[in-house]
Amino acid sequence: MMRTALLSLAAALAATSASAHHSTAMFEWGKEKSIDGTIDKWEWTQPHTFVWLVVPGSGGKVQQWGFEGMSPSWLGRRGWNIHTLTRGDKVKLIYYPLRDGRQGGFFVRVTLPDGKTLQALPGGGGPPPPTPTSGAR
Amino acid sequence: MNRIRTPFAMAAAMLALGALASCGGGGGSAAADATKAAAPATPAQADPGYAALAKLPDWNGVWEPAAFARPGAARQTPPAPPKLTPDYAKQFDAFQAKNRSTPGINFVSNVANCVPPGLPGSMTQPYPIEFLFTPGRVTVLIETYSMVRRIYTDGSALPAADQLDPSYQGTSVGHWEGDTLVVETSGILPETSPMQGINGHSDQLKVTERMRLVDPETLEIATTREDPTVFIEPYTTTARYARHRDWKIMEYVCAQNNHDALDEHGNPAFSLERKPGE
Repeated sequence: MMRTALLSLAAALAATSASAHHSTAMFEWGKEKSIDGTIDKWEWTQPHTFVWLVVPGSGGKVQQWGFEGMSPSWLGRRGWNIHTLTRGDKVKLIYYPLRDGRQGGFFVRVTLPDGKTLQALPGGGGPPPPTPTSGAR
Repeated sequence: MNRIRTPFAMAAAMLALGALASCGGGGGSAAADATKAAAPATPAQADPGYAALAKLPDWNGVWEPAAFARPGAARQTPPAPPKLTPDYAKQFDAFQAKNRSTPGINFVSNVANCVPPGLPGSMTQPYPIEFLFTPGRVTVLIETYSMVRRIYTDGSALPAADQLDPSYQGTSVGHWEGDTLVVETSGILPETSPMQGINGHSDQLKVTERMRLVDPETLEIATTREDPTVFIEPYTTTARYARHRDWKIMEYVCAQNNHDALDEHGNPAFSLERKPGE
């Protein structure tokens, strides 16, 4: 029952676009990847939140990654706020990658330094493709 | 007479004097004092329209599209496909084919560039809406893109489409049929989308919405689109909204941090540029 509800929510999200205002075609939507890094900046902004993450790279260099997230309108009503992530936090971030291979994607959930995991999108293996008759836009 | 203290006051005084002069009045300050003395003592008598608002149904709180608020229960039977004129049928079929081949591609429009959607798409955005009732007016505040609709319920007739300046939300008049608010809108910008899968319509698009509570916590809006250049017959879809009495509408400025503007070819894109100065 719960799973059905989550899948339906996922379908609804996909139908209206996960992000309210744009295509999700640039992401491999539903294909979860994992990355460990340190929060450089947490942007609590419309139309999307954004996580800038620094990740150790080869030769002691750090790489910068950027992840879009759901909006404050969505996350703010589900327990998130501007203080949820803080610069310097070491986190594990699950995301849907960019199709073009650049260092970024859309974040799905985050595990905080204290081990607590926060969901930023409904789970369930990723929403199915948008339904053409949803009439939403 | 008080001394004029600021340029604003001076400008206001000049406008007031100008108005009096154009009415043939003279002796500005004396006329202003007379007006003040004649002001009604009881505000309630001044505008009985507020008392009538108590008879309207309770639509307080904010309303979230039920597809988001109540997953599982809220997915209603999809509407029958629209009956479209040949050009628009071709566009709609291409949309569906593209949707099957490239999931997510369909949200390609100026909305990604933070240009707001037009009516009726503006009413089915993911984030909530709220209603304000004042005498002769229902105002709809839409969180997504911070959109506003002014629905005149003072008995005004809907002007002919060619008398209206086209706008995203169009020009709306409404009336109550019992507890149902019936809203008619024309003058919607022809470049907007009248339904998902179709971009553009003529200046003849008319949208009629019937809004009512179907239970104390559920608002239903049935939306009918008429435009002979697009639809062979009127096309109606229905959306439901769940009430949240404890929510507040949030600010939504799309240009604040948009990484999703379309590329130079009009295709979906994603910017990894940081904000200037970082």
